[in-house]
Amino acid sequence: MTLREWLRPVGHIVRKEFRQLRRDRQMLRMLLFMPIVQMLVLGYAATTDLRNIRLTVLDQDGTAQSRKLAEAFHQNELFVQGPAAASPQELQEHLFRGRADMTLWIPKGYEQDLTAGRTAQLSVAVDGANSNAAGRTLGYAQAVVRQEEARLLTARRLAQPNLRIPRIEAVTRFFYNPELESRNYMIPAIMVILITMVSGMMSGMAVVREREVGTLEQLLVTPVTPGQLIAGKLIPYAVLANVELAVALPIALLWFGLTLAGSAALLFGCALVYLIVTLGGGLLASTVSHTQQQAMFTIWFFTVFGILTSGFFYPVENMPRVVHYLTYINPLRFFMVITRGVFLKDMSLADTVPSLIPLFIIGFVTLTVAVRRFRRSVA
Amino acid sequence: MRRTLAIAAKEFYHIIRDVRSLALAVAMPLMMVFLYGYALDMEMKNLPVGVLDYDHSAASRDLVRRMTAGHFIVDAGRLTSREEIDRGFRRDKFRAALVIPQGYQQALSSSDVASVQILVDGADGTTAAAVNNYLNAVIGMMNRELAAGPGGRMTPPLEMRARTWYNPELVSAHFIVPGLAAVILIMICVLLTSIAITREKETGTMEQMLTTPVQAWEVIIGKVVPYMGIGALDAALVLLVGRVVFGVPMAGSWWVLAAYSLLYVVIALALGLLISAVTRTQRTAMTAALMGTVMPTIMLSGFIFPISSMPWPLQAISHVIPARYYVEILRGIMLRGELWFPKQLAIMCVMAVGLLTLAARRFQSRLDLL
Repeated sequence: MTLREWLRPVGHIVRKEFRQLRRDRQMLRMLLFMPIVQMLVLGYAATTDLRNIRLTVLDQDGTAQSRKLAEAFHQNELFVQGPAAASPQELQEHLFRGRADMTLWIPKGYEQDLTAGRTAQLSVAVDGANSNAAGRTLGYAQAVVRQEEARLLTARRLAQPNLRIPRIEAVTRFFYNPELESRNYMIPAIMVILITMVSGMMSGMAVVREREVGTLEQLLVTPVTPGQLIAGKLIPYAVLANVELAVALPIALLWFGLTLAGSAALLFGCALVYLIVTLGGGLLASTVSHTQQQAMFTIWFFTVFGILTSGFFYPVENMPRVVHYLTYINPLRFFMVITRGVFLKDMSLADTVPSLIPLFIIGFVTLTVAVRRFRRSVA
Repeated sequence: MRRTLAIAAKEFYHIIRDVRSLALAVAMPLMMVFLYGYALDMEMKNLPVGVLDYDHSAASRDLVRRMTAGHFIVDAGRLTSREEIDRGFRRDKFRAALVIPQGYQQALSSSDVASVQILVDGADGTTAAAVNNYLNAVIGMMNRELAAGPGGRMTPPLEMRARTWYNPELVSAHFIVPGLAAVILIMICVLLTSIAITREKETGTMEQMLTTPVQAWEVIIGKVVPYMGIGALDAALVLLVGRVVFGVPMAGSWWVLAAYSLLYVVIALALGLLISAVTRTQRTAMTAALMGTVMPTIMLSGFIFPISSMPWPLQAISHVIPARYYVEILRGIMLRGELWFPKQLAIMCVMAVGLLTLAARRFQSRLDLL
């Protein structure tokens, strides 16, 4: 049998699958909307930046120096003015009621301490309920205070010109994303999630559907072999995933203004490797499921686990060792590194190899097991 | 009522027989609680930083030692050239690199300005800012010591006392667990119910059932009740594990929490019904449920992503997300011990009544068509 002969029934099944999809207008509309909605909502919401931190200042010193400190906070664009407070108790009350995210208390005697050459005190409190933000909020507060302190130190230095004090000065340079816009980092990752959901869930459900409705048996009494059936059922979803990617890419570039630092060909090439994994996973889930609900749930479980441990939002380095090791079998993690790298860092083919090889291995194993199980289940 | 119970029993058997789905329905929330409790944390630690030390002096080694003293930064090893920095960034080997030029120790001992360079991989902007903040804080600390030290005798001008209220150790579980309960409830109630109902349509058994004396609304309620049970079980499991394993405080009352939760479950089920009323196939229902309810709940409820940091259109949309109010209530009850939430309660009641009416109406017109 030549390749062309083998491929002919595959083509028929692919066409059937697309025809079914085309008739399902509701589904089609959703598949078009999905990348748009997901890119827009996630693109704006999935940001790790902190903005609009509501800061309430209680300045009980009321001097030029204390106002300068408060001013230093307010000039920082991260902070917005919170509700006013007249006493330390009221400050705490604002935090308790969730009306302020951070409070700054400058006690009386602040300026006096400074002019006397002593150490002046100030108190900062944050609402720890949001542990994701509290630590970083404190970090920002510390940065502002440090800056103010550097200014005061310089003043003291000038007051004592004969005192020579060594000093370390750090110059920082940010690579790839100088404005540190977290969106530039999240949007490529959202595209990864998009491809994963479309190719993994849709393909898995499509195969089980034939089983659930009973048409799988009908297909198997035709001369179509299981291999052809698999190819015919999976190819449309590989195409679909690429269509979703093609819809999402212009949104990323034109709407969000990202630049693709690396090559688009490399990105789509790596996506093909990744699709082996997701389609294999979808097929595998379908072989262990009798109903679409089961298949959906199985795939959804692993997708959620995969997304959470992929470094999408939570850096992989932060995870405890056991979970960290688990991420090495998480295909999403590798594809996320590649996609972000190609987008932001102009990764070359050589740079992607360390991530591409594990992806290949995971994909090969998943697909082989899936095909073997599928063959056995229909035999 | 008897017929409704019969349908509920049938659905219950469907669920019980499908051991794996049931196991997943329980494992899913557990996995999420444990991942969020143990593994997922925005507080950075163990970030690898490479060091390019041209000075090779006691002072430069001291600087590196000071930087890697906490858990925040781990030493990713010595570099020998600038090219290695760029390659290391591209291959995610380290997040930042510290360059100590020759003459660093010399400058320090001659009471001069000793400059160092901090190169940061900015791709992940949040981590980059945190690394930079931390490295600069260490340098600021050293400068204070230099100023106060043997050659200096200068008092540091400021001292900032920092306090964290309500969750001093910044255990992320305290923040996440209440939100997780909201997400799990939506996932189970909306996703599973809408698929369970469309399944009857897709396989044709809905028509069969409607030819029996059973009323349409009896079918619907019967199908919904078992999933309500699973959803409630899952939410209870999440909160319990959060309480027992991660020590999430319970400053308020479980009974009050349960009462608010019931209202939320009604909203979730109404959403599930609405989706199954307007979709015909299971995959359409699934996609609609994921996009229309699960994703907005995760993204816009304030569960992880702070609503106040979002642009105003999304902030506006977040007002129609039921989970937003439920998460506020749960956090209020568990972390702060508040019990009375008139605003949230009113909004959720309006949502429940509105969604139920809408779902019932859509269902009536759809079932007549069958």
